[in-house]
Amino acid sequence: MVDDSRSTAFELLDERVRQWIWDAGWTELRDIQEAAIRSLIPPRSDVIIAAATAAGKTEAAFLPICSHLVSQQDVREGVQVLYVSPLKALINDQYRRLSDLCEPLEIPVHRWHGDVPSSRKRKMLQAPAGILLITPESLEALFVVRGHSMGRLFARLGWVVIDELHAFMGTDRGRQLQSLLHRIELRARRRIPRVGLSATLGDLSLAARYLRPQRTPSNDAQRVETIVSSGRSQELLLQIRGYLTPAAQPTAEPAASSDAEEIVDHLFETLRGEDHLVFANSRSHVEHYADLLRRRSQRERLPNEFFPHHGNLSRDLREEVESRLKDQVAPTTALCTSTLELGIDIGCVTSIGQIGAPFSVSSLRQRLGRSGRRDDPATLRVYISEPELTAKSHPLDGLRIRLVQAIAMVELLIERWCEPPSTHALHLSALVQQVLSLCAEHGGVTAQEAWRALARPGPFDSVSQDQFIHLLRAMGAEDLLIQSEDGTLLAGDKGERIVNHYSFYTIFQTPEEYQVLHQGRPLGTLTYEHLLAEGMHIIFAGRRWRIAMIDPEQKSVSVEPSPAGRIPTFLGSSGGQIHDRIRTRMRTIWADGNVPRYLDYRAKKLLAEGRANFVRLGLEASPLVASGSGTIAFLSRGDVIRNTIALQLLKRGLQVAQEGPALLLDGITPGETRKILAELAEEGPAEPLELAALAGNKQVGKYDWVLDQELLNAEYAAAAVDPRAAHRALCELARHLA
Amino acid sequence: MKAALTLRPRDRSAILQSLRAGVVPRHGHRHIQVGRHQELEALVHDIDRVADAGSAIRFVIGPFGSGKTFFLSLVRAVGLQKKLVTVHADMAPDRRLFSTGGQARLLYAELMRNMATRSRPDGDALAAVVERFASSALGEARQRGVEAPVVIQERLESLSEMVGGYDFAHVIGAYWQAHDSGDGQLQTQAIRWLRGEFSTRTDARKALGVRTIVDDHNVYDQLKLMARFVRLAGYGGLFVCLDELINLYKLSNKRARDSNFEQILRILNDCLQGSAEGLGFVFGGTPEFLTDTRRGLYSYQALQSRLAENSFASDELVDLSGPVLRLANLMPEDIFVLLGKLRNVYASDDPDQHLIPDEGLSAFMEHCSRRIGDRYFRTPRNTIKEFVNLLAVLEQNPSADWRDLLPNVRVEEEGNPDLAPLPEDSEASEAPRSPEQASATSAAAETESLAEQDEAPADDDEDLASFRL
Repeated sequence: MVDDSRSTAFELLDERVRQWIWDAGWTELRDIQEAAIRSLIPPRSDVIIAAATAAGKTEAAFLPICSHLVSQQDVREGVQVLYVSPLKALINDQYRRLSDLCEPLEIPVHRWHGDVPSSRKRKMLQAPAGILLITPESLEALFVVRGHSMGRLFARLGWVVIDELHAFMGTDRGRQLQSLLHRIELRARRRIPRVGLSATLGDLSLAARYLRPQRTPSNDAQRVETIVSSGRSQELLLQIRGYLTPAAQPTAEPAASSDAEEIVDHLFETLRGEDHLVFANSRSHVEHYADLLRRRSQRERLPNEFFPHHGNLSRDLREEVESRLKDQVAPTTALCTSTLELGIDIGCVTSIGQIGAPFSVSSLRQRLGRSGRRDDPATLRVYISEPELTAKSHPLDGLRIRLVQAIAMVELLIERWCEPPSTHALHLSALVQQVLSLCAEHGGVTAQEAWRALARPGPFDSVSQDQFIHLLRAMGAEDLLIQSEDGTLLAGDKGERIVNHYSFYTIFQTPEEYQVLHQGRPLGTLTYEHLLAEGMHIIFAGRRWRIAMIDPEQKSVSVEPSPAGRIPTFLGSSGGQIHDRIRTRMRTIWADGNVPRYLDYRAKKLLAEGRANFVRLGLEASPLVASGSGTIAFLSRGDVIRNTIALQLLKRGLQVAQEGPALLLDGITPGETRKILAELAEEGPAEPLELAALAGNKQVGKYDWVLDQELLNAEYAAAAVDPRAAHRALCELARHLA
Repeated sequence: MKAALTLRPRDRSAILQSLRAGVVPRHGHRHIQVGRHQELEALVHDIDRVADAGSAIRFVIGPFGSGKTFFLSLVRAVGLQKKLVTVHADMAPDRRLFSTGGQARLLYAELMRNMATRSRPDGDALAAVVERFASSALGEARQRGVEAPVVIQERLESLSEMVGGYDFAHVIGAYWQAHDSGDGQLQTQAIRWLRGEFSTRTDARKALGVRTIVDDHNVYDQLKLMARFVRLAGYGGLFVCLDELINLYKLSNKRARDSNFEQILRILNDCLQGSAEGLGFVFGGTPEFLTDTRRGLYSYQALQSRLAENSFASDELVDLSGPVLRLANLMPEDIFVLLGKLRNVYASDDPDQHLIPDEGLSAFMEHCSRRIGDRYFRTPRNTIKEFVNLLAVLEQNPSADWRDLLPNVRVEEEGNPDLAPLPEDSEASEAPRSPEQASATSAAAETESLAEQDEAPADDDEDLASFRL
């Protein structure tokens, strides 16, 4: 039976595609490929293909698509398949893979992103056809610069394929992409089947709703077909290692702290000789550890195998590391940030290291997916440092929060849970960008046209009409928009300057960057906020340098090798929010007596210490602890709930600080706090806009500076607070305390 | 005077069909023309000057819905009567006077597609003009008793001396030779070149042996050549009508706007100094296109000083001698007269056949005003369209009463079709229709725009429709 259905899927493919499969020496199609062929031939609906990295998702989508393309006798011009990917590097990878498939089939493959020469782009524009691989930003640029020819370019478009779908969900950039896809359909005057390639993360109905937003939620489940890899149940080898940061730390040279040295020792001794990825939570940490490991190799007179990899490094340096990882010869460990989470082709590595508690279970899952070939176990080592306790230590330090968080995340990972993307935000910053882009595309639009094209029915349908009108006015007030007498909205002076600058296309923040040069060779970029000065020492690209010259005109920094150095602080890649499920699990871990087997000796000791302090502080009975003149409210709830309650307390005139799982209240006793919390539970859910009005800096998105307080509050109320969940939490708390 | 106008059946159907489609009719303008006698006279004067080997330029400036397009069309019809060759086009984001991405060549190609002569008023007259050039040369040769190539050669020399004229003359020469030898293929290529349809020099060289093509940078030079060429072919001159100049104002790049305004300055200088020959231009645009100092013509200093209007002419006083000609907005009274004329056209000039009484005209206007406020006379296109639709229903259903139909008249504002929601999406956003509603509409399909169930637009849509920053 199985064989029968298999052969039917294979038989559905065009003969030339089958030939390619034979030539490639494949013995069988994978499950997702079988299923995708049946769903995509003939093309009818939107499809999500979910599988781990390197499970053949790309082929699952493109075998049937290419088969359809070669069987078509259509000679009209126009792009037939649009493939959107979050990373240029991923496009380059896919370009190689797809060229291999498409060349014998005579299907043109074009890539289009910031590093592709304009001569290539011109060629594509002259005879648009075949498959176009593009980033959302370059697609935005097409709309702005060639708005009038978009109809022609995509008249024949048959599919949109979105790679790394999960990476877009819940972000401004993801909303931008939805808007661009919607605008393509408006220009083509029809719906175009979408194919989303996603990692197997959590609830796929959210992914389906992202792929094809519907105003009527009742029938979207049927509209988007989901194909999930049955997957291999891979064995997981796991260890969490504990370290102690000495209390009296020499501040001048953090590099010398003993926990870092110990971690480096372990990395050096364990990882040499094979390929690994070690993730750190910030670019400066990446640089820091890469530097320590390189010096360690030097001391031992061994060839260095440890290299940094992050978004600020130049493409050359990054590709060097990627190709070292890919080849089987030189053992390489990349110290990296989330840039290597996504599916860049580096082959599989032996193990994954994680320094510091990860931000989210989903990114941990992604990182782990990089480890272990088909039948090998996946290996993960987590390195956690906790501060040494002294008399002066804060009570919270004794709880070993970082370690407990890592344990909670690993447990949830094993249970196959991960954070759903946040879908509440209005993404007004992206809406500002899309209104400007729409004006550029059409040479001006009326308010009504913009509303119908972007909001109802459109990607920004959580924005109300009042908010939309308000936003247009705010854009007018900043001279981003002007209006001609017939009502058409056009980019104003300032809007025009913004739209006509290349930085317009990205919706994520891009601070002004300086190029770092060594003897004329680019090493990467630093942002201006790093406060650079000539003669200063820095660590960059895993080495130590002295800044020889800064050229503000050319925006470049020339460096020379130097023995000393300090780490530049990199912007971006902030942690994001800790989900409620993680914090509640942490509570259970503190209250629980189980000692996980995957902890090393010192981690076990730290956990026992944390639990002892949990009991000592009486947190089991009451989350309210007196501390100095104030109270610690150890809620152990997610960041959104904690933030909401903090704002409710602020509204009552209390002094509140937020610290990890806790709220620190000043000048109030636990008894008084309990009373207030009970009152809040009594009051019912708070009014989100009132809370938002109390919050401090609300400008997060790139164009948030355009928004006035009212709009900023609306955005904040939608995304950063959750009064209902907070109210439930308060009621629970009140019951517990009563 | 009105009695002198007889309405031919051909004109009647042309007018009604065009208006129902929302476009300006090509014939019979005078039957529905309202006022504007002085302005028209000024333009007729311009046309006479062009026909007399002179030059002329006008900026017809009026707010939206003031009837610029209609006026330009009327002027063009007069030009044809006076034996001019006319070309016309609307400016658009992808049709400009100057560009780097092919948009100026597209404008030129559009102008050539719309080339009209008295015998071919509907456009596409270029081939006929070229043919006439050849036959008139033959005629002259016979008259003078010389070989035809001699006359052709003389004429081509007069073209060659102009900017870019060498290749232009070469293409005409090629056409002549092909004409002589019966090489249809080569003739087609020559016409294609003149139409601006070659997009690369390589192709043009292969086909015709010329090194240049009509491209983004030489559109105006080509128009000057074309003006001399049509005169050589025996016409009075070339009359160029460019409408919707607001689209230059809407370009989102100052450099792009300025390079187009620079071309307008060149044209203005040539026409005012009389260095253009047998060439006239009319530009249609809104007041803000002219006077906005940030992105309109006035943002270009040299144009502002040349186009500044006579400060003595204001309100009641007019000066029709300057390059700027102002059209005032149509007022409700004008609309009333216009509707009356439409009723008359519909009745083939026979008052007994009027389908709706004067009272009905007022009621119609009142209805429109209730629906979309004073926008109904500020954007008359749709108002007129719906009125003609109403007349059509009344004519075909003699039993119907205009009073019953009036509430169903739905005046809508036009929008960008590329921005309208997709049918699939709007279905999802609307409440599902009941079967009765669906069958009711299909039964009345013939009179669809009137009989369709009329749902008043939601109030919130009104906020967007009337949105001002």
